[in-house]
Amino acid sequence: MSDTTPQSPYRIYWVTWLILLVITIAMLAAEKFHMPRWFLVLFLLAFMTVKAAMIGGNFMHLRYEHRRIPIMVACGIVVTSLVLLAFLTPETWNVRGKTTAPPPAAAASVHEVHE
Amino acid sequence: MHDGTHAATMDAHWGGGVSPFGATWQKTMMWIFIVTDALLFSGLLCGYAYLRMAGQLTWPATGKVFSLPFIALMTFILITSSMTMGTAVTAARLGDRKKAFVNLVFTIVGGAAFLGCQAFEWTHLIREGARLGSNPWGAPQFGACFFVLTGFHGSHVFSGLVILVVTAIRTSLGKTPAQGVEMAGLYWHFVDLVWVFIFTLFYLLPN
Repeated sequence: MSDTTPQSPYRIYWVTWLILLVITIAMLAAEKFHMPRWFLVLFLLAFMTVKAAMIGGNFMHLRYEHRRIPIMVACGIVVTSLVLLAFLTPETWNVRGKTTAPPPAAAASVHEVHE
Repeated sequence: MHDGTHAATMDAHWGGGVSPFGATWQKTMMWIFIVTDALLFSGLLCGYAYLRMAGQLTWPATGKVFSLPFIALMTFILITSSMTMGTAVTAARLGDRKKAFVNLVFTIVGGAAFLGCQAFEWTHLIREGARLGSNPWGAPQFGACFFVLTGFHGSHVFSGLVILVVTAIRTSLGKTPAQGVEMAGLYWHFVDLVWVFIFTLFYLLPN
């Protein structure tokens, strides 16, 4: 006789669903605790990553696949997104710099007032 | 002799005998499709981040525009439908056709409920004056970002629903193999995965 009882093959979906539900409620409630902004952002991003990993690993069965598939998926999405952000971020600073500087006409009128 | 060895090597590595991803070609192609589709949403979210960072106008706090508990309810519905979809995939693999069909139907109901919630949210916001190029709350780009991001996601949910309906009907007739249910499941979970990012980056972070 075996001491271990066979687990239901569907158990992993219930457990994952429950954890995802708890995380979602925690993310929603986090705003109410008035924590520092940087900590809140870190908290939300960390839990978003955990949720994504749980959906990919348990629901999409990535944890049971050959390791080349999760590597392809993670590298494909994460690296391309980082490249996109790396190109966009300097452009963002460039645009901000241009829009925060006073327009030439306004700058000229300021000089005239001082003179 | 040399030619024979070369031919044998070619056959072993390129003749279909070696599967570098350890999966069928259908599943491998599905994963490649999911990666490319994920890049579409990645581009949209990066564009949204760019608009927020580059603009000088104040963006509205999402908590004042949306009912966040209602958005959380939509998330709950989608997560639950993912759970029933996973159950359907495993049931199909184990040959339990009835259980697979019942869970596919539950998934379809969840997906339809999510789309209904989204339609309600869109109607509510449009009535309050939100448009693609303007809105009463702040930066005019907010409306475009909201409609494009949630619209693209909603269209994916809709196409997922069509795939699920076809899969459910074929499963009830015994015409869809377990792998067919698994492919439909992968797409449905992907839709759920994208929502996790939209929910956090668009709804929760800017609140």
